[in-house]
Amino acid sequence: MFPDLTLIIIILAVGTPILILIMLLPALLELKKPKDAGPRLIMDNSSEVQIQMRAFSIASMEEEQKFDIALIRMLAKIIEVLPSMEI
Amino acid sequence: MIEALEVLFLLLTSVMIAYLIRHYIFTLAVLRRAKQTEKPTLLQTSYKPTVSILIPARNEENVIERLLQRMTELTYPKDKLRVIVIDDASSDSTGKIADRFSSQHAFMEVLHRDKMKGGQGKASAMNAGFKQSTGEIILCFDADYCPQKDIVEKLTKEFKDPEVGAVQGRVVVLNEPQNMVTRLVALERIGGYRVDQEARDNLGLIAQFGGTVGGFRRSVLESLGGWDESILAEDTDLTFKIYLAGYKVRYVGDAECYEEAVDNWKAYSKQRYRWARGHMQCCFKHSLKVLKSKNLGTKEKIDGLLLLNVYFMPIVVLFSFAIGVPLIFFAPSMLVGALWFSVPISFYSFVGNFAPFFEVGIGAYLDGRTRTQCLIPLLIVTFFYNIPICTKAFLDLLVSKIFRKDSSIWVKTSHIGNGNRYIVN
Repeated sequence: MFPDLTLIIIILAVGTPILILIMLLPALLELKKPKDAGPRLIMDNSSEVQIQMRAFSIASMEEEQKFDIALIRMLAKIIEVLPSMEI
Repeated sequence: MIEALEVLFLLLTSVMIAYLIRHYIFTLAVLRRAKQTEKPTLLQTSYKPTVSILIPARNEENVIERLLQRMTELTYPKDKLRVIVIDDASSDSTGKIADRFSSQHAFMEVLHRDKMKGGQGKASAMNAGFKQSTGEIILCFDADYCPQKDIVEKLTKEFKDPEVGAVQGRVVVLNEPQNMVTRLVALERIGGYRVDQEARDNLGLIAQFGGTVGGFRRSVLESLGGWDESILAEDTDLTFKIYLAGYKVRYVGDAECYEEAVDNWKAYSKQRYRWARGHMQCCFKHSLKVLKSKNLGTKEKIDGLLLLNVYFMPIVVLFSFAIGVPLIFFAPSMLVGALWFSVPISFYSFVGNFAPFFEVGIGAYLDGRTRTQCLIPLLIVTFFYNIPICTKAFLDLLVSKIFRKDSSIWVKTSHIGNGNRYIVN
């Protein structure tokens, strides 16, 4: 039922560092050059302030989406290079 | 022997599955509720009970002035408000700062505890302050916190419901930008409050009093005997006492307060050790009572038990991995082979059980902070870091129980005022 042990080890040895790198790259970029380091602003309660904050958060989310698309394109370029490193 | 290990492995995996399902249910519940558009409403209520705010403080000169200044800015009527600062045998100028404020504001007073009575931990300080208080509602703030100006109204309005015995507000990390530790703690808070607590309150489960940014009905606290000074997680202890007595804890998500989070791994470790050990003490104390209680429904009992045992999860994961690897790779297994799905679930849980990460991600999304979601993979670091912390807490607690040598020493988290520069209002 289980695949060959040697094959599993090879897959883990090669794939794990790549997976970790891909997983951690956005995190490391955000730590190095934070786009939203916080803290989250706590406003005192008023209906007008809450409406303004919601509008602000929607506008800032749209800006963030543009950055996310650029980041995904960059990551895709990095991943494209990887198969060409096969021996 | 192999069969016994297999059964144990499957049992541990079942526990992990239970927590996995729980986290996903919480996240989906909060998402569903968030989709229901709610119009913001101004806080208007004629219910204005007398309130006593307890602020335990031991060597908090770097942060307490900020909190006391905020106390003077609270919008709650000052004739119904009393702030009691418990200067718990401080060796710095905490007492002097508090005295200065109390001399200028009639609604503030300071209780100085000397070295004989003081320094015994937060629970002891709170009990001392409680004895001096007179308010119908008792609220608590740690010295490094900075609440909203209208937080008292937001918290106290919930006590109109006679079933409510305690309330809990939301904690937001103030010094989040400081370094990686503070940013990860901030993420944990987002998951814990924006999703976990909110879901438990919405679903009628066990919302937890977190020790600060919350409060109690005075009569309930008196009947429960105040804070248990022998338990490190006195807040969790009170939570379960309240539910077992037939009352509820209400989570008030829009009652928000800043806190200064720990900013290095050593302080993180000490704080989590205290939480883990205290939580485990509560587990031993309350698990059977929760099971037998006639005041709790079935879903509350299930959630209560899962909550009480949550700090055992890192140990469960460790054991599951330690047993699973030999079973899968070195021993032919019958049961595990038949229930093969237990293997990926076990390993999936070992790298952090992505359900809590899902909670954090959705919490950040609901807060409108999608960029912070990029940091979620780093939560694996805190997950792995918690494994030895929780294991040590459990072993220390076992040893203390076996040898009847309770060494529950309260190790205070130091605050150096790093959050002060982020205050904008």
